[in-house]
Amino acid sequence: MTMLRITARLLRRGLGGTLMLFLGIALFEFINPVIGDSLGGAEVVQGLFDQLPPGMRAIAQVQPDFFIEAGFAGFISLGFTHPVYFVLVSSSVVGFSARSIAGEVDSGVIALTLARPVSRRVAYLARVAGLLALSLGLALVGVLGSWIGTVIVDLPAGTGLRDYGALFAASALLAWAVGGMVLGVSAASSTTGRVVGWATAVLVVLYFIDYFAELWSVLETLGPFSVFRYFDPAIALVEGRVPWINVLVLGGAGTVAIVIGLLVFERRDLPV
Amino acid sequence: MIVPQTSPLSPSSVDPAEPANAIVLDAVSKRYGTFAALDGLTLGVPHGIIQGFLGPNGAGKTTAIRILMGFLRASSGSSSIFGLDTWSAGVQARERVGYLVTADALYPDMDGIDQLDFAAKISGRNPVLRTRVLDALELSSATLAQRLGSYSKGMRQKLAIVAAMQHDPDLLVLDEPSDGLDPLIQQHFETLLRERRDAGRTVFMSSHDLAEVERTCERIAVIRRGQLVANGTVQELSRHYRRTAVIRFRSAIPDGLAQIGEIEYADARTGTVRLLIADDINPLIQALSYADVAHLGIEEPQLQNVFFGFYDGTQVETSDIGSAAR
Repeated sequence: MTMLRITARLLRRGLGGTLMLFLGIALFEFINPVIGDSLGGAEVVQGLFDQLPPGMRAIAQVQPDFFIEAGFAGFISLGFTHPVYFVLVSSSVVGFSARSIAGEVDSGVIALTLARPVSRRVAYLARVAGLLALSLGLALVGVLGSWIGTVIVDLPAGTGLRDYGALFAASALLAWAVGGMVLGVSAASSTTGRVVGWATAVLVVLYFIDYFAELWSVLETLGPFSVFRYFDPAIALVEGRVPWINVLVLGGAGTVAIVIGLLVFERRDLPV
Repeated sequence: MIVPQTSPLSPSSVDPAEPANAIVLDAVSKRYGTFAALDGLTLGVPHGIIQGFLGPNGAGKTTAIRILMGFLRASSGSSSIFGLDTWSAGVQARERVGYLVTADALYPDMDGIDQLDFAAKISGRNPVLRTRVLDALELSSATLAQRLGSYSKGMRQKLAIVAAMQHDPDLLVLDEPSDGLDPLIQQHFETLLRERRDAGRTVFMSSHDLAEVERTCERIAVIRRGQLVANGTVQELSRHYRRTAVIRFRSAIPDGLAQIGEIEYADARTGTVRLLIADDINPLIQALSYADVAHLGIEEPQLQNVFFGFYDGTQVETSDIGSAAR
């Protein structure tokens, strides 16, 4: 009960900003099917896509003739590999993870909880529960925005509940992986700015590893080292599944970082 | 080793099965690389008293309090509250503690009443004293309905005090509690502390306000450079500080005064001497009985001077004052 109270408190803090990010993600994913509908058909989309320079095509992370084979479901998935989506999701989970531990140590607010009969483990798990709720919420609003857009314009994407369920799981796993890694760093830190700075730098590097591995064959071997490599909304929407390797890597990266963070947080000094 | 001691007040509410001291710091050190924030600090705080904890900035007061609260882990030594180790059994120890967080360490997006409710719920004890403390600190319902972002520093400090005291903890740990309080509220706050002491609770407070400490605390511990340099009652500490005798002779200044005390100032032209003397003034009286004295004044040691002496190291260390010093 105490843990849930702390989780609720953490989620309420910055709730306005989080809701705005949710709205932004939902609107961004809503617009995507509307644009797809305005383009006409999959062949048109493929034609337009083929005219883009390779550097821009690499952002989409798709194979040749992807839109011919995947149809509008493939086009919708572009909304989830777009850098804007990554920025919105990352800023939400990075903000929460950095604020909830390093930020509270920085301001001393964490003493409100830890000066009471609350173990550090419970305090930490409350933050993990908050991250889980946030990850699920981020995934849900993205999927909902996309689904509503598809329904409203009656886009013939051929997507069903199973496909959106898989997209929801893949999106939640990405948020969990990013948020978990940042929470692990936050558990060892005492300043929000440092955590946000490091997290942003690492995420940008990981994103560009994935991007350039797609673009330049010499960097292809680095691709598997990026968490973004294991986020594949196209497979989720077209085939209705999340590959096991993606589940293991994204789920594992977040969970392992969180466990390491717990071990650090239980032992470290808190200058509050 | 800590010498167990019984409370001077022996409050009836103290369970006989309780350890002798509410707080024990036993040879506690905290090092950051080569710097020792605490260096073998040993201190026992008996039940049912208000214990002051003084020292200059950087002496290690806050470090000691953080170790007590389980925020920091001691590099060596041990600390306990009601016999429970503050690191390994910190959760159980904190069930009986009320800790005053700094005024800035409150959720700015909450209103006052939500803040107090949140604190009470995670404390696991009913806020039985909330109304009493709110009244004493003159925090109104209208104020509590406002978000903390609109509070002044003094109002935030009041709210933090209520959050620390509202569940009537057996031990209050207060770091600079009257910081930001106006004199009237400070007076009410001191009354609250005395009430809790009379109810058998223990208060451990650090402060820079020596007058407040003198008014409120039964015992005072002084630390400097991470070590205990004094611990005792105000009277005990003062006795160890030298009085100042100002003597004006009608005739020449007699010889032998230097054997009675330290001559701080002597003017042969006016026959005036300022003499620092220890606890016993009889040798001075005997010496003066043979002299022609025009004026004799003895200034009692001021608590402020006593502490300045401890702070700057000119005062002799008196951490073994009395039988219950440590």
